[in-house]
Amino acid sequence: MADRNSNTYQKLRDKWIAKHKDLQEAFWARHGDTVHEFVTNTKNFAIGSVSALMMLSGPATNLLAPPHSLAAVETKLPVDKSVFLVSDLSNVIPRDVRPLTNEEESSVGTILARDFGFPVAAEFNGIRLNRSYGLIGAEQHLARYPGDSMSSHFGNEQDAVKFASSGMAPGLGGWGYFARSAQEMTNEESDREKYYIAVQSFLAPGFAEHTGEYIKFFKFRKMLVVNPQNGRAIVTVIGDAGPAEFTGKHLGGSPEVMRYLERVDGSGRGPVLYFFIDDPENKVPLGPIEEK
Amino acid sequence: MVKHFYSFIVETDSLFLEIDSLAISTSEKEHLKSLAESHIHHSILDSIMSELSSDDKKLFLSHLNTKNHEKIWNFLHERIADVEEKIKEAAHKIKKELHKDIKEVIS
Repeated sequence: MADRNSNTYQKLRDKWIAKHKDLQEAFWARHGDTVHEFVTNTKNFAIGSVSALMMLSGPATNLLAPPHSLAAVETKLPVDKSVFLVSDLSNVIPRDVRPLTNEEESSVGTILARDFGFPVAAEFNGIRLNRSYGLIGAEQHLARYPGDSMSSHFGNEQDAVKFASSGMAPGLGGWGYFARSAQEMTNEESDREKYYIAVQSFLAPGFAEHTGEYIKFFKFRKMLVVNPQNGRAIVTVIGDAGPAEFTGKHLGGSPEVMRYLERVDGSGRGPVLYFFIDDPENKVPLGPIEEK
Repeated sequence: MVKHFYSFIVETDSLFLEIDSLAISTSEKEHLKSLAESHIHHSILDSIMSELSSDDKKLFLSHLNTKNHEKIWNFLHERIADVEEKIKEAAHKIKKELHKDIKEVIS
């Protein structure tokens, strides 16, 4: 039954994506010159007003690969794809950093799923975090295996220069070590540490009543984290619990996550969206991701 | 769903209800709805722009960029006869195709 249902979604999705490409091609063939000229000559338009403009090529344009025959035309457009995402999100998320309403979460989930090409949601199987939009703070590196230290932590000198200053947390991550030893550590395990976030799992509704079930659900659960102000997005896993409520922060990001999102701690900290990724076959790779 | 200038004359409930009736996850339903909405949007914009001259297309894009629905409608009424009907027709055509796709996939 589950296979058949999943098949229904995949068949329909593939069919509609193919159909959408045809629509795009036809649209650009008929109006591409005008659209391109207009966008090229429209200087200094505000981010907030771009959403209507991007609608020229459709809200789901970024979900799809550009039509091959028109790729050259599209790449000429002077608007970075992330602008569209930023613009769309700005129409949905509130100005103040507060928990999103169900309706807002649904709209954000739709936009993110559309742009990144895989299902995301604030709630899966009746389990959700305390929020899906909040202030992110900086975490430290975590020991990946017994004996891991700052001298062994980085794969190359460049990463060491960029990320060593964050230091290593004195304790282990929420699930202990990521691997049994350096020799046995897989790339996936290494990436889990590199791209981990800490979430306030202990504040999730129902956590106290179903602790075991929730811990199992949260362990290395993939989440898409998006900086709505620059459109940068990264696929992460839940690797730790925190931060404490009194900090005023709502989640934490590894040094690599924070750097990519261009988020900082302290007075300059800012909000991110964080949504569960529905990836039962483990096909979505960890790390920075761009719109399709 | 995003509110477009044409949202009040283009009904999507029946399509979305049909998607909701599928035995798939909520996030999958939302994904399909997003795709369906984009199909409709493309079709409508294509139908409008096909009625406009090159210069008017640019003017339309300028109005679209302002998101001022009243201005968009004023402009369209001046340039395209029976514009509402043309929008409805474009939407109807693509929705019919999408309904058909759903039926084919689940049969």
